[in-house]
Amino acid sequence: MTPIRIPVPEELTQETGRALHRSAREHALQQGGVLLVDLSNTRTMDARGGAWLLAIAEWAKARGGELTWEGASGQVAEFMELVEPGLKAALRKKPRHVGLLENLGDATIRAAAEVREFLNLLVDAIYWTILAPFSGRGFRWGLLLDEMHEMGVRAVRINFMMNFLLGLTIAMLSAAQLRTFGLGIYVADLVMIGFARELAAVMTAVVVAARTGAAIAAELATMKVQEEIDALRGMGLNVPQFLVAPKLLALTLVMPCLVSLGMLSGIAGGMIWGVFVLDIRPEAWLNETLGAAKLKDIFQGLFKGFFFATVIVLIGCHNGLRVEGGSRGVGLMTTRAVVQDIFLIIVVDMLFALFFYYVVD
Amino acid sequence: MYPDDSKTKDPVIRVENLVTHYGDTPILKDVSFSVERGEIFVIIGGSGCGKTTLLKHMTGLLSPTSGKIVHNGTDITLLDEEELTRVQRNIGIAFQSGGLFNSMTLGDNVALPLREYGKVGEDLIPSLVRFKLNLVGLGAAEHLMPDELSGGMRKRAGLARAIALDPPVIYFDEPSAGLDPIIASGLDDLILNLRRLLGITFIIVTHELDSIRKISDRILMLDQGSAIFLGTLAEAESSAVPRVRQFFERRADEYIAQRGMVSGGHEDEEGAE
Repeated sequence: MTPIRIPVPEELTQETGRALHRSAREHALQQGGVLLVDLSNTRTMDARGGAWLLAIAEWAKARGGELTWEGASGQVAEFMELVEPGLKAALRKKPRHVGLLENLGDATIRAAAEVREFLNLLVDAIYWTILAPFSGRGFRWGLLLDEMHEMGVRAVRINFMMNFLLGLTIAMLSAAQLRTFGLGIYVADLVMIGFARELAAVMTAVVVAARTGAAIAAELATMKVQEEIDALRGMGLNVPQFLVAPKLLALTLVMPCLVSLGMLSGIAGGMIWGVFVLDIRPEAWLNETLGAAKLKDIFQGLFKGFFFATVIVLIGCHNGLRVEGGSRGVGLMTTRAVVQDIFLIIVVDMLFALFFYYVVD
Repeated sequence: MYPDDSKTKDPVIRVENLVTHYGDTPILKDVSFSVERGEIFVIIGGSGCGKTTLLKHMTGLLSPTSGKIVHNGTDITLLDEEELTRVQRNIGIAFQSGGLFNSMTLGDNVALPLREYGKVGEDLIPSLVRFKLNLVGLGAAEHLMPDELSGGMRKRAGLARAIALDPPVIYFDEPSAGLDPIIASGLDDLILNLRRLLGITFIIVTHELDSIRKISDRILMLDQGSAIFLGTLAEAESSAVPRVRQFFERRADEYIAQRGMVSGGHEDEEGAE
């Protein structure tokens, strides 16, 4: 089969290359045909001209043919030598399109692997959190105090504000209803029970998920990206023991305190509305609140807080340690951690509600 | 290739009496030199001598305390943000660890400057991207993500992105740092090829002796912020300046502690990036 000869003009640039590309494509290149590029007149070529040549070669390959050249000299010859591998290489396929079923299977396998990883982390973390402080080896007490300060003390202000404002809002909303029946005083009961059983724990958990959950995920992800995690492993140190256990212990110790604070702040918010807007005497309001306070309800809130703390730390660590890639991976994993935190807080909360509804009450 | 460039005789870049400070500490003290068209100009010096700072000033990423940096007749220290951006489009910067965007494939990394201001038709971009990747020997890596690349590949990829817009000048920070001798030598060949074929002027910061011997046309040596040597490789190797001799003979410093105090404790300046 005789090759199809294409003469290249004196200067191969973006414009002449485009024209060359167009004229080459008019030829009926058959399977196994050869496109011979004649470079004997060509003095100069630049990168964009070369790119058109590459485009022609790829067109030829797509039709089952190939591109060769002759007559290159001087700068053009050197240029061709440098790009020869690209012109000769087999046509690279774009990443294959993946079908629905394959995607589904892939997602299932990945989800299963992730669950397994999470359970491993859970077991390790619980083991080291319970064991490490008492075995006396390798538990970083100094770090524990630092973490408790960062997770707890520094969250006091924002946690107070959020619960206080929520208490105020709940009192407002319920007062509008109850007042019409002359039952304004029962707002005190409602706020007390609501915050003890539910609102303080959930609101505090959301605050902590946004602060601490995000911080944990970002910290561990950055450590992973910068090979600090590998460095720890390389020294024979256990990651759950050194990084996860102090955080888990710190937050489970601090969380009940924050939830208690949340209850007090919410009740205070409700009381402000009751006393100043509903015109109920402070003593009466306090009496009503204390009458409604049941230890069982308060424990329910604190108990949930403990579980929320575990969820927040483990989800944060889990996502942080799963990071891939660089800066973008860190951002993605931090977002993922906070989203999962808040979702799981609601799920756990609902499970508790079911449990208390059917089993305890 | 670049007929309008090669005919003029003016230096590509002229740096005059450059003085910069970091806080109150002087980093560069009255540095002057010029870079000729088509040459490979190497900036050397010990860690913390102000090499990277100099590079950042020459590319307009930092602005100096005083002095001039003239690109093709324009003093970039006097330009506002917009004019500076226009000058910066005519230079390519290849960063120490590639500086690739982690969220994009290699091909998209190279295509980014082309799409933004390449004045290239969308129909040519895929071929042009493959062409540039072929030039640096990464033709098969187009669809890979940066974190799937080795260190040497990342530097090549950074170079491919730097040459995307066919700039007449390329700045390269530490091309061979952290690479094995074979890969490093391959990268040196690549720099020589690109200079010869595309007529690119290279300004390279490095302290790899082998690489300096292989590629440099002229060498500028900085020591504690001052230019202590400017000349060819042969001149450098026969230089009488003690610090230059020490560098080329690879002799250790006996006075690290004292020197650290003299330079104001900014030994970490280069490592901080």
